[in-house]
Amino acid sequence: MEQQFLFEVEDLAVKYPNGELALYNVNFSIKSPTFMAIVGPNGSGKSTLLKTSLGLIKPVRGQVKVLGYDSVRENKKIRKLVRYVPQRDRIGLSVPLKVKDVVLMSRLLKKPPPRFASSKDNEMARESLKRVNMADLWDRPFPELSGGQRQRVLVARALAGDGPILMLDEPLAGTDHESQDMIVEALGDYRSEHEVNIVMVTHDLNPIHTLVQDVLLLKNTVVGVGTPCDMMDVDLLKKIYGPTAKVVEYAGHKYCVTHDSGVDRHD
Amino acid sequence: MIDILIEVLSIPFVQRALIGALLIAIVASASGTFLVFRGLSFMTSGVAHAALGGAALGLFLQHSGLVPWFDPIIGALLFSVFVALVTGYAGETGMTQKMEVAVGVSFALSMSIAVFLMYYIPPTQVPQIWGYLIGDLLLLDNFDIVLLAITAIVLVLITLVFNKEFIYVSVDMEGSICHGMNARAYHYLMLITSALAIALATKAVGAILVYAIMVAPAAAASELIKSIRGIFIAVFVIALLSELMGLVASFTVNASPSAIAGILAAFSYVIAMQIKKLRDRVSIDLDQFPQHDEEATLVLREALDTSAHEGHDH
Ligand SMILES: Nc1ncnc2c1ncn2[C@@H]1O[C@H](COP(=O)(O)OP(=O)(O)OP(=O)(O)O)[C@@H](O)[C@H]1O
Ligand SMILES: [Mg+2]
Repeated sequence: MEQQFLFEVEDLAVKYPNGELALYNVNFSIKSPTFMAIVGPNGSGKSTLLKTSLGLIKPVRGQVKVLGYDSVRENKKIRKLVRYVPQRDRIGLSVPLKVKDVVLMSRLLKKPPPRFASSKDNEMARESLKRVNMADLWDRPFPELSGGQRQRVLVARALAGDGPILMLDEPLAGTDHESQDMIVEALGDYRSEHEVNIVMVTHDLNPIHTLVQDVLLLKNTVVGVGTPCDMMDVDLLKKIYGPTAKVVEYAGHKYCVTHDSGVDRHD
Repeated sequence: MIDILIEVLSIPFVQRALIGALLIAIVASASGTFLVFRGLSFMTSGVAHAALGGAALGLFLQHSGLVPWFDPIIGALLFSVFVALVTGYAGETGMTQKMEVAVGVSFALSMSIAVFLMYYIPPTQVPQIWGYLIGDLLLLDNFDIVLLAITAIVLVLITLVFNKEFIYVSVDMEGSICHGMNARAYHYLMLITSALAIALATKAVGAILVYAIMVAPAAAASELIKSIRGIFIAVFVIALLSELMGLVASFTVNASPSAIAGILAAFSYVIAMQIKKLRDRVSIDLDQFPQHDEEATLVLREALDTSAHEGHDH
């Protein structure tokens, strides 16, 4: 069988209308299937890369292919394959949607109107809420949850859907230790049971470095791409996080110590 | 007593007023709720005033003989759709703040056009423009009722079929697009149908009632009620009650029923805020009596003890 690539990115440059050059000279490719992390500090273009790959933003130069489909010409096909969770602050809280409605979104959005939920849809939604230990909150209004709980529900939304690519933009932002572990474990389990690609944006590699296969270090261009162990390199990390970045080894694992990582996690 | 009631109810203009009240409550529930969800309550007044500019343009085109068939209502509908399009364009990324600015700008533009054109319209016709903003439940004619009924039916059908889409667009535009939904189309559909409904309702019952009834009940309901369906029902009930009470009151105190209904609807929001505050206070009171936690007290006492000892050492 021919080798499939999750991402093939060539000479990509993305500029926002205000002149901000968010990405330049981006070249890399990632084999499918994989669990991939996109790592970089704030403003490094992580979200921009995801949005470009989904055709939300047109590159000014170069191209992105997702599973062989071009992000500009064939974004309809890409969107059929993807379950996407935006950064949490992009979700509006003015509508009292129930937790179940949020989780069902990933399934109902792929149906034609009127998008009624079948019993299978409900079952999948319930099952994925269980994976992040949120099944009890099925009927609660989403806007009333805490930030970490909302994040877990959004991860469940991705897990409940169909399609071979999960894209999660900072699913660990604003979560405590327990929620982080739960989310990471749920993603890991799901990945071991299903032939899917998981792409996860984060600015802290530590909680997931034992799970991911490919890491892309980004600072508006590619700083490094490879296995987590290769990326846990002081010189590479210094390039994106500044001179204070360190790598420590503890119990056989490497950890990066940067301003962005929860240093208190590993005492 | 009952005789009087039956007699009143058999008067045609009272019947039209009651039917009008019912239809407006439906419009408020189907359209006003989504606007409040979207953070766009301001759009109601923007669209109503834009419709005024459009009506002025229509009159001007008619009387200058440029386009004799151009009825003011066509101008009003065109301008309200224009506001919806500008607002929609500004909000394609899902940013509500930008849409508010767009409403403000297109509102100012249409008002300016209206005032500008008034110099070129025969002075006898000018009141007809302002008349667009001033309607009343008791002044409805049969044509108004037909117009309102069509508006309400179309709106209800669109809402029934596309309510999930409208909600998804309000909650997570980016995610909806990325899952393959044509979110942009629904985004515009929602804004344009709302704008048309607002313009037609304004034509029928006047701006004051439309402002109050489209915004206040939905705002009140979404403060208090935690389910989407519940909000739709509550908006309908609040709007209808305000209008009916306005009508009844207008027979006794000799005032415009729309004005009274507007005041009542606005009050529903104030009351909702008050209830919400009370509710919050009650739950805080409960929080002040947490269950007695023996262990925590013990730990605290120990901690205090040791620090006291440390204090002695020095
Ligand atoms: N809509 C926009 N308009 C203009 N500039 C933007 C826009 N969105 C992002 N940018 C700019 O592009 C750059 C990359 O932004 P992006 O959101 O991709 O960063 P990120 O890596 O996701 O950051 P974070 O960790 O804060 O989410 C930043 O410098 C940002 O200012
Ligand atoms: Mg981001």
